[in-house]
Amino acid sequence: MQQRRELDQVYTNRKLLNGQLDTPKWWLPTVVTLGLIVMIGIAVILVMVNKGLGVTGLARPVYWGLFITTFVFWVGISHAGIMISAILRLTQAEWRRPVTRAAELLTVFSLLTALVFPLIHAGRPWRIAYWIMPYDVARGIYPNIRSPLIMDPVAIGTYLTGSTLFLYIALLPDLGNLRDRTTGWRNAMYTVLSLGWRGNPRQWKMQTVGGILLSALMLPIFVSVHSIVSWDFAIASAVEGWHSTIFAPYFVIGAVHSGVSAVVTMMALMRWLWKWDDFIRPEHFDALARLLIVVATGWLGFTFLELTFALYGQDAPEIALREMQMFQWPWNGLFILFFLTAYAIPVPMWLFKRVRTNIALMFWTSILVNIGMWLERFLIIVPGLARRTPFVYTWEAYRPSPVEWTIFIWSFAWVTFLMLLFSKFFPLVPLFEQKESQVFTDDVMIGRAKVPAIVREAD
Amino acid sequence: MKLNRREFLALTGKTAAGAVIFAACGLPERELIVQSPVDLPEDLVRGEDAWYATSMGDFTNGDGVLVRVMQGRAKKIEGNPDHPVNRGKATARYDAPLQLLYHPDRIPEPQIRYSKSGNLVGISWDQADTRFQEALKNANGSLTVVTNPLRGHLGSVASKFAAQYSGKHMAFDSTEQGVLHGAVKSVFGHDQLPTFDIANAQTVLSFGADWLGTWGSPAQFGVKYGEFRSQSDRGYFIHAEPRMSLTAAAADLWLAPRPGTEGDLALGIARVITTTAGLAGQDNIDAFNAAVPGGLNDYGIVDVANRTGVSIDRIEKAARHFAEHTPSVAFGGGSAGAHTNGSFNLGAIYALNLLVGAVDARGGITANPSSALKDIPASATGASFEAWEAELAQWRAGNVETVIIRGANLVYGMPNSVNVREALSHVPNVIAFGTVLDDTMDLADLVLPEQMFLEAWGTDIPEPGPGYQVVGTQQPVVGPTISREEAGLISDARGFGDTLLAMSDGSYGSSMERLVKGALSDLHSTGSGSVSASTATLFTNGALQRGGWWDTSKGGSSKVGKIGGSAATPEFSATDSLGKGDDFTLIPFQSNSLGDGRLAATPWAQQTPDPISSASWSTWAEINSEQAKELGIKEGDVLLIRSTSGEIEVLAYPHPGVRPDVIGIPIGQGHHESGRYAEDRGSNVLSILVDEKDTETGALAWAATRVRVQRAGRRVKVPKFEGNVEARQVEPGVPILVVGVGETAHDAQEANHHLYQQQFLGGDDE
Amino acid sequence: MTIASFGSHNWGMVVDVDKCIGCNACVIACQAENNIPINTQDRVERARSISWIRVERYWEGDFPDAKARFIPIMCQHCENAPCEPVCPVYATYHNSEGNNVQVYNRCVGTRYCANACPYIVRFFNFWEPVWPESLRNHLNPDVTIRSRGIMEKCSFCVHRIRRESRKARSEGHEIVDGAIQTACSSACPTTALNFGNFNDPNSKVSKMRDDQRHYTLLDQFATDPNVIYLAQIDADKKVGVGEAATHG
Ligand SMILES: Nc1nc2c(c(=O)[nH]1)N[C@H]1C(S)=C(S)[C@@H](COP(=O)(O)OP(=O)(O)OC[C@H]3O[C@@H](n4cnc5c(=O)[nH]c(N)nc54)[C@H](O)[C@@H]3O)O[C@H]1N2
Ligand SMILES: Nc1nc2c(c(=O)[nH]1)N[C@H]1C(S)=C(S)[C@@H](COP(=O)(O)OP(=O)(O)OC[C@H]3O[C@@H](n4cnc5c(=O)[nH]c(N)nc54)[C@H](O)[C@@H]3O)O[C@H]1N2
Ligand code: SF4
Ligand code: SF4
Ligand code: SF4
Ligand code: SF4
Ligand code: SF4
Repeated sequence: MQQRRELDQVYTNRKLLNGQLDTPKWWLPTVVTLGLIVMIGIAVILVMVNKGLGVTGLARPVYWGLFITTFVFWVGISHAGIMISAILRLTQAEWRRPVTRAAELLTVFSLLTALVFPLIHAGRPWRIAYWIMPYDVARGIYPNIRSPLIMDPVAIGTYLTGSTLFLYIALLPDLGNLRDRTTGWRNAMYTVLSLGWRGNPRQWKMQTVGGILLSALMLPIFVSVHSIVSWDFAIASAVEGWHSTIFAPYFVIGAVHSGVSAVVTMMALMRWLWKWDDFIRPEHFDALARLLIVVATGWLGFTFLELTFALYGQDAPEIALREMQMFQWPWNGLFILFFLTAYAIPVPMWLFKRVRTNIALMFWTSILVNIGMWLERFLIIVPGLARRTPFVYTWEAYRPSPVEWTIFIWSFAWVTFLMLLFSKFFPLVPLFEQKESQVFTDDVMIGRAKVPAIVREAD
Repeated sequence: MKLNRREFLALTGKTAAGAVIFAACGLPERELIVQSPVDLPEDLVRGEDAWYATSMGDFTNGDGVLVRVMQGRAKKIEGNPDHPVNRGKATARYDAPLQLLYHPDRIPEPQIRYSKSGNLVGISWDQADTRFQEALKNANGSLTVVTNPLRGHLGSVASKFAAQYSGKHMAFDSTEQGVLHGAVKSVFGHDQLPTFDIANAQTVLSFGADWLGTWGSPAQFGVKYGEFRSQSDRGYFIHAEPRMSLTAAAADLWLAPRPGTEGDLALGIARVITTTAGLAGQDNIDAFNAAVPGGLNDYGIVDVANRTGVSIDRIEKAARHFAEHTPSVAFGGGSAGAHTNGSFNLGAIYALNLLVGAVDARGGITANPSSALKDIPASATGASFEAWEAELAQWRAGNVETVIIRGANLVYGMPNSVNVREALSHVPNVIAFGTVLDDTMDLADLVLPEQMFLEAWGTDIPEPGPGYQVVGTQQPVVGPTISREEAGLISDARGFGDTLLAMSDGSYGSSMERLVKGALSDLHSTGSGSVSASTATLFTNGALQRGGWWDTSKGGSSKVGKIGGSAATPEFSATDSLGKGDDFTLIPFQSNSLGDGRLAATPWAQQTPDPISSASWSTWAEINSEQAKELGIKEGDVLLIRSTSGEIEVLAYPHPGVRPDVIGIPIGQGHHESGRYAEDRGSNVLSILVDEKDTETGALAWAATRVRVQRAGRRVKVPKFEGNVEARQVEPGVPILVVGVGETAHDAQEANHHLYQQQFLGGDDE
Repeated sequence: MTIASFGSHNWGMVVDVDKCIGCNACVIACQAENNIPINTQDRVERARSISWIRVERYWEGDFPDAKARFIPIMCQHCENAPCEPVCPVYATYHNSEGNNVQVYNRCVGTRYCANACPYIVRFFNFWEPVWPESLRNHLNPDVTIRSRGIMEKCSFCVHRIRRESRKARSEGHEIVDGAIQTACSSACPTTALNFGNFNDPNSKVSKMRDDQRHYTLLDQFATDPNVIYLAQIDADKKVGVGEAATHG
């Protein structure tokens, strides 16, 4: 419990619309730098599409590598949005309010980024139309709906559509606000985008009901998306380390772990960059870290289960794979790094409130989690393929090529670039949520201290 | 927006929507079918193909093949099922000649060098003919025609041509078989190599010869081996060779004697058989003793085991199998004969057949008859190394005016120490024929593009034949091929035989086609054999269609003699002066795909994984894995291999299938000129051989070089097909299930499974 | 006389491991028959070489008891093929004659099928295949050249099956046993490779399949391959060594 400043509406408006109304100094150079990296990345992607996948480090039998790992990673990150805004909204966790928008944005942008990877990693990306659309109905060819690669675009497409709508509905009141504060072309843009938002009770009601309905609708998607991504692997019954029955929940909870951590990272950045100390407050980090402790520990349980299944089943090839993953160079090095970063370092630290409310420490621990969670996907995908099959002739290692690394880096630059670009035109912290929370909040005197408390109409 | 049809097509692409709209408009649906996504193109094969029978000329020992031709292009080479030698089957070297035929670096036209130091420049055939004639003008008495060992009409034309100018015809073979021919001649009195009735043998005992891969007639032997293994009791195969060739890998019992002690080993086995009661009949022992005048007193099993490095129980086991499970056959060659005591080794090996009565018997040695064609010998072998040294001395002395070279890469195939390059520089006219420029042709004054066997007429008498008379026919199956890029031919080549005949006085023929057809009508007049026809023309066509003529009733017979060569211990070259490193005995071996290097120019031969190491595109060295560990040598280490004749670099490939102190290096790489795929790739092991010779025949003892091996300090990846670890089965029975005699797969699998579970989970073994 | 028709065949291979000498004749025959791109040194080193049939050599024991055993491995044409359900575009499917078919036109190159195949017999074209112009003369017109970005694998020489079926049909008779030989089985000198129709109880392969040495690779995956292996015989193996373990 801590004291905080009382915020009036004017201050809130000015502070949160700062990005749109007058641009911070660091914004342009950062966006230009990121833009350059993005352009280099796109150029490398084009070169790869033009030359062929020979420019990657892939080879028999490791036919999937950095791209698919990074795909799964971004889909995982995308789970931040629903987790924060939908679930917390349904459970009426008040502290979620300032971060919902950013979390939803992260969802949309990371999904957009994730989608790029399966497309460019295909041998003939220009033929993907065959893959997704029932393109050749006239000749009786439909996509193979048994293939997770068909379910993937369907699930991710649905998720993307849902998240975008969700984001947009929550943006409407703020768009109206912006419309009223801008002139010229911006005003025109916000006028169109705000869809005639007037803030009358009927509109508010529809907006709220829409948000709640979408939250509820998104819940199954939340579960399904990463479940389906996990089936990309789980269905390959012959690949040790892939065909685990626990993959769906395991992947989902892992996704929440990495997604929420990414939100923490982003919150810290927002607080620093826009000086939103009054809106993104230590208690938010505290709450997220508590959530993360639970999620991470649940996830650890799955990790542990996955490893013990091999021993429990006494399936020799499975044991051999785990042995390789954990005890053979270079996998063992990655495994240790993975375990330290995804759990062993951050989670015990979070047990201390001093850490949970220390923004810098939260920033760095959340970065660690995502390093770890990326490694987790890598350690599932690549050793599974590089596994020691009975055909010793096919034992080969995998070393990602510079092209793959460049595209990997591109994906981070791209997401950040999109976020910053977004921040130029739309508020990253939802004003109306912020204000709503102020309505619901009152200050309670405890001794001499004034501490915030949440009040709600008892309807 | 108004669209015309074409634009509309472009817009809709080949989509379903497009199809529906067009069907509705009555537009032809086929407009849309550019590429069918439904069917395999392979489901709709079009065009007719033709399969022509011919013989493989220089590339095998007379195998008959069928060549698939479509639209005038040769597409595939397969065994000719009618042909008695390979009976429809193939080796890993059959298809590669197609890539010589269409080689991007095939010599397009005649080329001349105006001075020894000048470059080759293209000229017309007329100019080339003129230059050829000039070279012959002064060549009387000083002409040498150098070829690979040629059987059939091409060989006889070359010999007669040389004779017309009172010159010599010398054949060159880098891993020469002179010792083998000598041994076979002295023990059995055969002029041509015998064949072995492997298919009906119960025990096969072979030494040194990689007969399933590269030695003798591998396709023929491979078919027989298949039959050998199909017998009701499967047969037992014992092979002795210091390194594991693919033949050794097929053996039930592999013996790895010290190089050069194969004769010792053979006589040690003989001694066990003769001294153990009941193993051999007295007649056979007498016959054997008569053929081995030195007797067996020095071949007590303990001594033999010491000298050969093969354990006593292995020698005994081999001897017992050989004597007890008859019919048995023993034969040898390859590295077993490539020692200073090579003739003795091979003599002793072949004499073993006398102990089991295998000569001219079912399941034993089968003599091959002499040729069915008059003037055409049924055998060909290279001149001995000794003879070559003498010849090169003549070249150096300026006594040879003109050398014609065809199919013999002297520069590549002879050790550095004899310096062929320098000898050639003293010959005023060097005329070379070939398809792709090689290291020897690169020194020629006149280079003539030669037709391949796919383009030329000829005959071939397979050696070793199947045990009866065979004349294989070779016919042009494709004409000259027009290149796709330019208007001209890929190669304006002419046949070697036809070119010589055109230069000759005409007394021994006017063209190869006439010679072949003449020979076939001679065969027609014998009235026997596989083709019967009323007229010579029908007979000729019939023979060409079947790929030749053969007469199963015309077999050969043996006249048992004595083994030649003394029992001297093998001599090896010295290494004292070679600086740092460890000493090894060098065993060069023919590559399963490149042969002696003649297919090195082709990508197929280059890329074919070696059966044992699975390496390709490179030169590697096989050393015993345990010894490598002791010496700190790891796979991919660049090794410097030094002999008194020179130094080469190879990549280490340690494995358990090679005798310690022996280093096996494949022949076939290390060309300076050989087209884009082979140039400056790997190392030429032949170049560092030392001029040790078989004391009896003067043949090069190519397995008698001792080398010093040193690590260069670099390590690279061996281009091999095997994964990144030594391939050993991780689970018994997977993927190769091994059963005992009479055991079912099911029982073996069950036992393996339990073994594995125990090993893996019980933790007692691993 | 019945006319040969599709569907009455179930093509399969019986591989007698005991006869395989590791000579690689099958490998190169397949390369030549099926227009497989040149496996350059770089491709070999980087495990990107393509070999629809490969001969693996396994070491056993150490000198002087070392043994090298060979086994040819090609697509097993699984009846219950793990590669098929994962392909999003049906580029790999099962035809009515027991073959696992690869439709190059449809493949988008996800490489998913290759991950799913436990036999690791699917090969991805990382680069556009190139031949010097003159070498294109030997390309087989019956077989598509696969562009880069797609998957390929042993087709059981389906074009040969089609060619012979068409011939038999036009001549009005059944396909004679043995009339269709794949390039590899035709080359194999020792008859380790045998191709034929499992639907015909009298065919050579049907009879061989009943041999007591028959087994299939990785049967724990229940892929039901149409390639049947006959176990290698070791004359010196003591039968019953594992017996104690089995029953005790
Ligand atoms: N590799 C190979 N080359 C060959 C042959 C071979 O078998 N193999 N065969 C040779 C032979 S026999 C022949 S005849 C030639 C054929 O060679 P081409 O004459 O080149 O025949 P196609 O490629 O069938 O078709 C030519 C183009 O015409 C277009 N077309 C179709 N209908 C119309 C129309 O109504 N108007 C116009 N303007 N265009 C139309 C098609 O879309 C296609 O792009 O090829 C020769 N070359
Ligand atoms: N679906 C479909 N069908 C088509 C076409 C198409 O585009 N699509 N194209 C059509 C056209 S344009 C054409 S020209 C035809 C071509 O059809 P075909 O005339 O059947 O031509 P090819 O398929 O080339 O078969 C010719 C055969 O002759 C053999 N041959 C080669 N040289 C000689 C020789 O000197 N003597 C003899 N006796 N035989 C020789 C070859 O080996 C080959 O087997 O196909 C037509 N059919
Ligand atoms: S016991 Fe195992 S295999 Fe059988 S239905 Fe249950 S989960 Fe499936
Ligand atoms: S062997 Fe592999 S590629 Fe062939 S059918 Fe079976 S799963 Fe598919
Ligand atoms: S690589 Fe081709 S065949 Fe394989 S799953 Fe992808 S699209 Fe299907
Ligand atoms: S059946 Fe045909 S495609 Fe398959 S491995 Fe043999 S030759 Fe190659
Ligand atoms: S051709 Fe036959 S014997 Fe040779 S490697 Fe292939 S399967 Fe084995």
